[in-house]
Amino acid sequence: MSGFFLTLWISLAVIIAGSALGFLLGILLSYGAMPLRWLIRGYVDAVRGTPVLVLILATYYLLAIAGVNFTAIQSGLFALSIFCSAHMAEIVRGALQSIPRTQIEAGRSIGLTFPKILLYVLMPQALLQILPVWINTGAELVKASTLLSVIGVGELLLRTQETVGRNFMTLEFYALCGILFFVINFALEQLGKLAERRFAFVRRGR
Amino acid sequence: MKPLLSIRALSKSFGENRILKNVNLDVTEGEIISIIGSSGSGKTTLLRCVNLLEEFEAGEILLDGQAIGYRMEQGKRRRMRESELARQRANTGMVFQSFNLFPHLTALGNVTLGLLKVRGLDKATSRTRAMEWLARVGLESRSHHYPHELSGGQQQRVAIARALAMNPRLLLLDEITSALDPELVQEVLQTIKSLAQEGRTMMIVTHEMRFARDISDRCVFMDGGEVIEVAPAAGFFTQSKSARLKEFLRSSSL
Repeated sequence: MSGFFLTLWISLAVIIAGSALGFLLGILLSYGAMPLRWLIRGYVDAVRGTPVLVLILATYYLLAIAGVNFTAIQSGLFALSIFCSAHMAEIVRGALQSIPRTQIEAGRSIGLTFPKILLYVLMPQALLQILPVWINTGAELVKASTLLSVIGVGELLLRTQETVGRNFMTLEFYALCGILFFVINFALEQLGKLAERRFAFVRRGR
Repeated sequence: MKPLLSIRALSKSFGENRILKNVNLDVTEGEIISIIGSSGSGKTTLLRCVNLLEEFEAGEILLDGQAIGYRMEQGKRRRMRESELARQRANTGMVFQSFNLFPHLTALGNVTLGLLKVRGLDKATSRTRAMEWLARVGLESRSHHYPHELSGGQQQRVAIARALAMNPRLLLLDEITSALDPELVQEVLQTIKSLAQEGRTMMIVTHEMRFARDISDRCVFMDGGEVIEVAPAAGFFTQSKSARLKEFLRSSSL
């Protein structure tokens, strides 16, 4: 059961940290200065082009070589947050760029500064598109957290394996493990649907 | 009398293409100016320069005697910072051809946004003022409708209320009836006519020649990025001096 809560905690922390960074990168990717945009584009493409497992192993071993002493959990959180941020950046960029430029002009014409346009005009519209994909990314992350077992983080899967190793009740415990993952992701999905319904009034406008 | 808006030697290019060539125009307070000309003549670009939505390479625009958009710093001409541009833009209201309402806000929300976030008014005051303007354009009863629930003409009237609620010195109208179905054009033009009677200063880019003739104090004809002719509306259409304007008026039936 400690594995279940660790999985839950890791997923939540990664979604929050990764999304926060992802939103920032996505906004800069859409409206930042040119050299900065190229830099972020490089980061996003590099991370998205790397398998999560490689990312996890790389942070675990490379950071140690670089002299940063992270525990397994810390480097796992780091790797997954990086992974999440790159995906979120791309999602946020896509959503922002689908909003016509005339919306920015309309905001400018009434005297709004760009940060205010972003906050009150662009983001509310973008959020609607981001939401379903965001939930999806969250579910992916919950599943990707199982990969942390390879660097010895005692999350749900590793704990299940250990338990099975002791009592040989293979079927029962893997089934339980599967059900628990399903519970997490089902809850996440319901949360997403709830949020979507709350914002549904905007969708009709499109 | 000192002009409210003064455009001096304004020039702008997109790459090799010169969009505006040495444009000069003064607008006095309370005056209504219509700008006509074929598409590509630079009339919309001129309005967008006044609202600082476009940058321009040479010349200056003075609003109330103050240069907007650019300032001289150590002998160099520099674009002002975003926050200054925003402050100056709030003095000119713009209504767009394609309405450009915020789709995630109600009619009321569209009008109050600038009052809340630019003027810094509190919720109750913003609401009251926004409702006054919506009533002014005849849409009091539609205040809680989202843009997609309104007709094109109603959307454009909300856009007019949104611009006017900011109490701009100058209202810029950019082909505001061009995207409307023919039967909806009149309701928008009527709204503008009633505003004209209040003495609002307006610059209107339009293809509605009859409307331009009826409402304007002066008309401006632009062609190829230049101001060709400026004249009081009465004589503009009947006693045009330049051959190009005569040609243009012939081809567009009045």
